[in-house]
Amino acid sequence: MLLRVVQAAVIAATALAASGAARAQGSLNLYCSVQVEWCQAAANAFGRETGIRVSVSQKGSGEVLAQIRAEAQNPRGDLWFGGTGDPHLQAAEENLSAEYRSAALDQLHDWAQKQARDSHYRTVGIYAGALGFGFNTELLARRNIAAPACWKDLLEPRFRNEIQMANPQSSGTAYVMIATIVQLMGEEQAFDYLKALHRNINAYPRQGTGPIKSVARGETGVSISFVHDAVTERLGGFPVSSAVPCEGSGYEVGSMSIIRGARNLRNAQRFYDWALTPAAQQLGAETKQFQTPSNRATPVPAEAPQMSQIRLIDYDFARYGASAERRRLIERWDREVNTLPR
Amino acid sequence: MRAAGLWSSLLALAAALLLPWYLTHDGIAAAPLAGLAWLSDPDFGPGAGQVLAQGRWWLLPALLAPAIGLLAALLPLPRPARAWFFLLAGGLGLGLLVAQGYAIGVQGWSAPWLEALFGPMEDRQFGVGWGGAMVPAALAVLFAAGLAGRGAFRGDAFTATVAVCIALAIAVFTAMPLVLLLGDAFRDAGGALAAGALFSRLADDRLWSLGCLAGAPRCGVVWNTLLLGALVGAGTTALGLAFALLVVRGRLRLGRPLRWLTVLPIVTPPFILGLGLILIFGRSGIVSLAASSWFGVELGRWIYGLPGVLLAQLFAFTPIAFLVLIGVVEGLSPTLEEASSTLRATPRDTFRTVTLPLLRPGLANAFLLGFVESMADFGNPIVLGGQFGVLATEIFFAVVGAQADAGRAATLSLVLLAMALGAFFLQRRLTARKSYVSIGGKGDAGLAPPLPAGVRRLCLAVALPWAGLTVALYVLAISGGFVEIWGRDHTPTLRHMIKAFEISGGQLTGLAWNSVITTVTLAAISAPITAALGIVSAWLFSRTRFAGRGALEFATMLTFAVPGTVIGVAYLRAFNLPPLELAGTGAIIVACFVFRNLPVGLRSGMAAMAQIDPSLDEASHTLGGGGADAFRRVVLPLLRPAIMAGLVYAFVRAMTTISAVIFLVTADTELATVFIVNRVINGDYGLAIAVAVVLIALMIVMLGLAQLIVGRRRIGRRAAVAPSIQPPGVQPGGAVA
Amino acid sequence: MSRAAEVRFERVWKRFGAESVAVRGVSFTVPAGTLCTLLGPSGCGKTTTLRMIAGLEYPSEGRVLIGGRDVSALPPAERDVSMVFQSYALFPHMTVLENVCYGLTVSRRPKREAMEAGRAALDSVGLAGFEARLPSELSGGQQQRVAVARALVLEPSVLLFDEPLSNLDARLRRKMREEIRDLQQRLGVTVVYVTHDQAEALAISDKIIVMNQAVIAQEGTPRELYASPASAFVAGFVGEANRIPASLRRLDDRDAEVSIGKARLVLPHRGLPDGPAELALRPEAITLLTPADPAAMLEGTVSKAAYLGGVMEYTVATPSGEVFVVSPSAGFTPASGDAVALSFGRHGAALLPGSLGTAA
Repeated sequence: MLLRVVQAAVIAATALAASGAARAQGSLNLYCSVQVEWCQAAANAFGRETGIRVSVSQKGSGEVLAQIRAEAQNPRGDLWFGGTGDPHLQAAEENLSAEYRSAALDQLHDWAQKQARDSHYRTVGIYAGALGFGFNTELLARRNIAAPACWKDLLEPRFRNEIQMANPQSSGTAYVMIATIVQLMGEEQAFDYLKALHRNINAYPRQGTGPIKSVARGETGVSISFVHDAVTERLGGFPVSSAVPCEGSGYEVGSMSIIRGARNLRNAQRFYDWALTPAAQQLGAETKQFQTPSNRATPVPAEAPQMSQIRLIDYDFARYGASAERRRLIERWDREVNTLPR
Repeated sequence: MRAAGLWSSLLALAAALLLPWYLTHDGIAAAPLAGLAWLSDPDFGPGAGQVLAQGRWWLLPALLAPAIGLLAALLPLPRPARAWFFLLAGGLGLGLLVAQGYAIGVQGWSAPWLEALFGPMEDRQFGVGWGGAMVPAALAVLFAAGLAGRGAFRGDAFTATVAVCIALAIAVFTAMPLVLLLGDAFRDAGGALAAGALFSRLADDRLWSLGCLAGAPRCGVVWNTLLLGALVGAGTTALGLAFALLVVRGRLRLGRPLRWLTVLPIVTPPFILGLGLILIFGRSGIVSLAASSWFGVELGRWIYGLPGVLLAQLFAFTPIAFLVLIGVVEGLSPTLEEASSTLRATPRDTFRTVTLPLLRPGLANAFLLGFVESMADFGNPIVLGGQFGVLATEIFFAVVGAQADAGRAATLSLVLLAMALGAFFLQRRLTARKSYVSIGGKGDAGLAPPLPAGVRRLCLAVALPWAGLTVALYVLAISGGFVEIWGRDHTPTLRHMIKAFEISGGQLTGLAWNSVITTVTLAAISAPITAALGIVSAWLFSRTRFAGRGALEFATMLTFAVPGTVIGVAYLRAFNLPPLELAGTGAIIVACFVFRNLPVGLRSGMAAMAQIDPSLDEASHTLGGGGADAFRRVVLPLLRPAIMAGLVYAFVRAMTTISAVIFLVTADTELATVFIVNRVINGDYGLAIAVAVVLIALMIVMLGLAQLIVGRRRIGRRAAVAPSIQPPGVQPGGAVA
Repeated sequence: MSRAAEVRFERVWKRFGAESVAVRGVSFTVPAGTLCTLLGPSGCGKTTTLRMIAGLEYPSEGRVLIGGRDVSALPPAERDVSMVFQSYALFPHMTVLENVCYGLTVSRRPKREAMEAGRAALDSVGLAGFEARLPSELSGGQQQRVAVARALVLEPSVLLFDEPLSNLDARLRRKMREEIRDLQQRLGVTVVYVTHDQAEALAISDKIIVMNQAVIAQEGTPRELYASPASAFVAGFVGEANRIPASLRRLDDRDAEVSIGKARLVLPHRGLPDGPAELALRPEAITLLTPADPAAMLEGTVSKAAYLGGVMEYTVATPSGEVFVVSPSAGFTPASGDAVALSFGRHGAALLPGSLGTAA
């Protein structure tokens, strides 16, 4: 009797372990760091087109990096889609991602190709987006606060406890913000700025999109986030507006990497090629995500922030994407800023 | 004994000859191998093929041990000699297979001294698959048969098999992960052993700082955790007592609805309460909006932090305190109170000098339960904690944060484990001590006195608003899934539901399908295993005496006290590399569900066993039945209601667990709870609630079905063992962990 | 059922844990085909002894033999014994017939054969027609018979009873014990029977083994135990006994003269030396006389008198201590406070070996 129970257990467990595998001839494990709607739309569309079953796990880019690192000896994921470029560069540097040159590479914008070159073709840009402020117009109006226009505005007492930014320890978005400030002001002044800003911050959520969601729901007045995310919320019916800092802002190159040692390498490569096509990149706009797509042939929706009209800094991805620098800055932030009283 | 040896040897041999030894990532069906070629393939081949064709000589025990066992079973040997062969073949074979599994890993020899000893190793091996799991399991049974043959376990092979298998399972799935985790705490960031690492981490200011008392932004997480735990323990106990007194002695017709309310938190996915609180008290929650539009007062973000977490945990755990205390209050012998009143005490005096003191052990028990639950809780702090960190969330961030630090996670886990175990032991001592409460026994004919008027008013004043708030919370939280945007646009809609569970073109394109199906599948696989293992071990522990039984029972109960986050970290640590390479598969989640919920199954199983006269087993023995007959024909049928309860409980727990599994899910095995928590963190409340509502509905349907099945059974007089479904929730270990 | 087997214990010890000893080096033999009772107060080790015969406990030391075969380490299923439990242990989820057939079912007998044997066994205990009932639908006596039928159906060579009648009322108890005795006589099976009721033991046994504090206090036929108890304990446990101080003088190698006060009595000396001794005196063997009666052996005053219908019970204060007397309620019936004399003969009186100083 027990024997039978034990057998059943063993069989069930192993069958389960292998069941993913039995289907695995046509499967792909996707770590996805864009918004979940986009992840799922991409998975569904790709699945329909190719018959490959896509499993999606949606997590912030920092978390995915941590996970890929942890699984390095024995990778579970195949492809990492989306999320700011720095962690992708870091993964490339740490030899966590695999080199792959898609045939579609030369159809891409320069910034996307540069991302690929910087990483020795271990990652590639799939979209770009500028960093800025999102704010809840109703909430600010009710509280009689003028919207922020520049980085320095955020330090003003009127924003006391009204600002959210993501936690750089888990969010790539927040790291882009820190790197941008450092590049704008120089490191020492940048940290003085961050310390001052800390007094006005009410929370550091885990995910990069957390703050703008809070803005949308009126949990906070202002967020530091990508402007395209603000567009998404506005179209979702929330009183959200956005601004790009007058001093200039950094931007992200949302990237995509194949994980080294991927178990479904061929499927991952297929997805990689597919994701660079205009048809696939349109899915972003269809799911109300308004990043600037990397394929020059992809139509840019009207609602999307026009990158050309934004004053962007010359973001040094190679330097600030390096893991040592990233770790150093984040640790410094954690040590010097995160522990301060408010 | 002979039969058990024979069958286990045959099984092991068959597995070694036919089943793929290693974990196959692409399945046999996908193997591009024609005919019988897979038999000798390095990836798909069974043990025999690996030895003969691939030169993996270290797998030889997988063939030899079963062969010896088979010979010993077939040859006409005296019983003791045959038993020795079984012991030898089973034990040695098992030992050697385990040793080779750990000695040869993904990169050849796993330790330098092995290379020095055996020379360089070109080969490498991944995790074990069907064959690699089945052969050792069967050898364990062979070993057990040998033990029985030597006279252990009353010479009964079935009992011996049960004992050996449970001991092995506990060793692998409970003891090993925790021990490895303990080891991690002693390693520095580079992975080298450094005794100092633990102490420097332990001394970390972020754990112990008391700065908040002096105006610093926050105190150490340990103090936060303790403070929260103490507040929750005290709060749930007070609320639970008020409810229990009202229901038992308050002369209200509230019993039934209140008992139903207690089921709710058990079937609620962990963060829905937190979400409801945000919807009510958040900055755009109804209370805040009302305050600002009517009074012009900005209530701000007070809900994020200690107040919010405390409130959410009070909602979540009060029912558990209630369930504990209602038993205690009902168990009070009215005779004592009658005696008091005949001695001229007023009702108030009686309540103060007799009733309350009698309740004291129960109150302490409820307090500790609340304390442990609060410490283990992960869902509420992650949603509502804000900057208020507790150990459970700190561990999470130490694992997934950008600066993943396994050593720190391990150290924090140890601190949490130590605290939880401390509370657990305290609680065990309290409940083990002779309680004053006279439950059952000879019928006390007395009539429980009503509550003194003052006490009754106090209880009502506390309990009624709270019950109302709980109901409101659920109603609001759930309605949040059916309006456009909570707090802005309250147009009713099914949009979120459709987004989550859309079916288009015959494909399940909704966002939540994948995770919900995975959750139900894994819960449905793990529940029967949990229930079976729980009943079998309950039978073993309550009906057999053997050396080490106490230790084994304790180890089985241990996961009770271990917070989910700790289990998750430990499992990831233990099963990430071969030979037990379960990480990333559904099996690790199933194992986690099973061994985490096993203590509850075991405990309720033992409670049910206690009501079955042991002489029934003995009667079966003297009538010629073996251990297996006694178990299958006598105990199992009588335990059917308990089994059903265990089954449902295991299923429900598996559906609502988050803390333990959040580290174990992958793209392929994402669970609904993890999906929900990610949506909540992302602000997609509508979607999160839609999925949660579907989960709750599923579980309530399950509960109802189970109730129907149990209710309809014909139960003999002696078999009236608690057929109710929900009481297992009264165990520590967290209903919402 | 001619396969009745002898049961033999050879220096059997049973320890539970380090401290407690349930059975202390016990040896005895139950001849094949006899009914032997293990009698003793609770906690004396009699049930543990029975369970060691059944195989539900294993001896810590020593050997248990059934029919000459050493079964010390065999599980119950391999011993050819069956047992009737104090609680009957009827499986509540099975019908009466299923209960009775259980032993045959688990030994994989063909179903039809099992059913037939089951019906026959039920018939033999007078329960034909109750096959489809659940045990909970039977009375206590009926449940008891089902338990017996269930044990009998396997045709064991040894049948064990663990206080089978303790849950029945007095009248039913008498009836059932007669039935058990009849059954044993009819089938010729060896029966080992545990009870703490001495009347039950005396009524049905071929042999009684009295146990006390983990050892055998005395074994023998009912008559031997009653007539010559080996100790004050046995005297007190098997029937009632007055213990009266006396002095002894040996007459020959068998008999001795016993003096109680001024009375003299010749009794077997049972190995006792000359000097003070203790006498066990059965209350019903004492005759109450008027003080002046020439047969008077001991004088005293009635301190209590109780009317019990057929008999009277008296407590008489004498120079040798209080004496408990049972005498017919017809004839001489003194009242409380009356002076009386007592007389008794050889029958109903026995010297207690080894009792002085050990149990006073």
